Amino acid sequence: MFDWLANPNRFNRITNKIQPILLLASLITIILGLYFGLYDSPKDYQQGHAVRIMYVHVPSAWLASGLYLLLAISSIFYIVWKHPLADLMSRSTAPIGALFSLLTLATGSLWGKPMWGTWWVWDARLTSMLILFFFYLGYILLSNAFERKIDGSKSAAVLAIVGIINLPIIKFSVDWWHTLHQPSSLLKFDGPTIDGQMLLPLVLMIIGFCSFASYIIILNVKTKLIEKKCEALILKLNLNEISNIR
Amino acid sequence: MNNKELNWIYLFISHIKRDILINSRSLFDIVSIFGFMLLIIILFPMGIGPIQEKLDIVSNAVLWIGLIIAIIPSLEKMIQRDYTNGWLDQIATSPIPLEIVLLAKSISHWIIVIIPLIITSPIFAILLGLEFNQIPWLILSMSIGGLSICFIGIIGAALILGARRGNVLLPVIILPLIIPILIFGVGVNESIKIGLSPLPNLFLLIAFSLIYLVISPFISAILIRIAISR
Repeated sequence: MFDWLANPNRFNRITNKIQPILLLASLITIILGLYFGLYDSPKDYQQGHAVRIMYVHVPSAWLASGLYLLLAISSIFYIVWKHPLADLMSRSTAPIGALFSLLTLATGSLWGKPMWGTWWVWDARLTSMLILFFFYLGYILLSNAFERKIDGSKSAAVLAIVGIINLPIIKFSVDWWHTLHQPSSLLKFDGPTIDGQMLLPLVLMIIGFCSFASYIIILNVKTKLIEKKCEALILKLNLNEISNIR
Repeated sequence: MNNKELNWIYLFISHIKRDILINSRSLFDIVSIFGFMLLIIILFPMGIGPIQEKLDIVSNAVLWIGLIIAIIPSLEKMIQRDYTNGWLDQIATSPIPLEIVLLAKSISHWIIVIIPLIITSPIFAILLGLEFNQIPWLILSMSIGGLSICFIGIIGAALILGARRGNVLLPVIILPLIIPILIFGVGVNESIKIGLSPLPNLFLLIAFSLIYLVISPFISAILIRIAISR
């Protein structure tokens, strides 16, 4: 399937159809989710109105770790099958993932100040999210650290694959260490432990954030494809000029 | 034991000898690492103030952070010189397995850089006012932790081969991987301080070292082949 998608023209054709749908879906679900989340949902009996931060915090936390998985998978594809598009994919995923993990940390600390009384705790989940952010940062820095951009791709891909170790630690840190962060209430074997009125906006926001992130990533990949084409064109023009002079 | 295995062991030992010989010609590097760690250890009490109770809370962590920060600049040199003078290219194209050479390199770096720091660590421990019964555990945990820092460091050094500003990049890349070592390494002595057995933390430290021992030669060999091919 990825072999099939690795053709840039085919990728462009397919994503041209998908992109407007993603944009529309993300706009509708985010607006609806914000409406339900901010106005039409009950406040928590313990947390009050501060619970509404959750509607941004949880989707961005999911995306931060989900996008890392995407980054790692496309890195594996790049290392194993050497599709150039997989490299572009991971290069365009990394900044988005870094931003989402930063957003998670920021909203988390905004929520933590009124709830826990501090902006920051050295809690297992917070720390592992911070480490995830550092892995994104390392990937971005390493992939751009070489004279020719393509040189950094493979090394950075290996780094991304090594960083997978951190993902299960984030997922299970809340269950392993019972520190301040509350355990997961959405993904459980015996169904979600969250009220329906709160579940609806949360699910809407998660769908909205996911489609928004995929829209942005596809846009990013397309931009990078056009950049590559431009570079190739410039090289071609220069070669023609040289041969004309001769 | 067949002939091939014998060859590999011989290779391993001869590479360790080679690295030790090369590094013994530039002893100033090792002395400067020791001086750097001493500076860190001295600066912390200056910042905290001369109150022993305050110092007791952080002393183990300061020792470990001093060790890590002092080692990190030296990690890059593990393979940098051999990469720039073309020695690694020759090894990678020869039938000698690159993994064994890299394993030998990380272990010889441990012998050259970490062992002197560990031998002198009682001095640091006295400076920070550690209890006398903690020093053997400190030496044990630091030698195991230092070995795994070398294993991580060779991955990081292979990642930044040929990169611009690699020396800035290296700490950003490997610090997330070192964090578990730091936590369990400090945990060994912290548990003695509060009167618990240090063994659980020590075993976890050994487990992490073994994981890094298994993965680091292979990953760094992949990375070096990538670096040579460009």
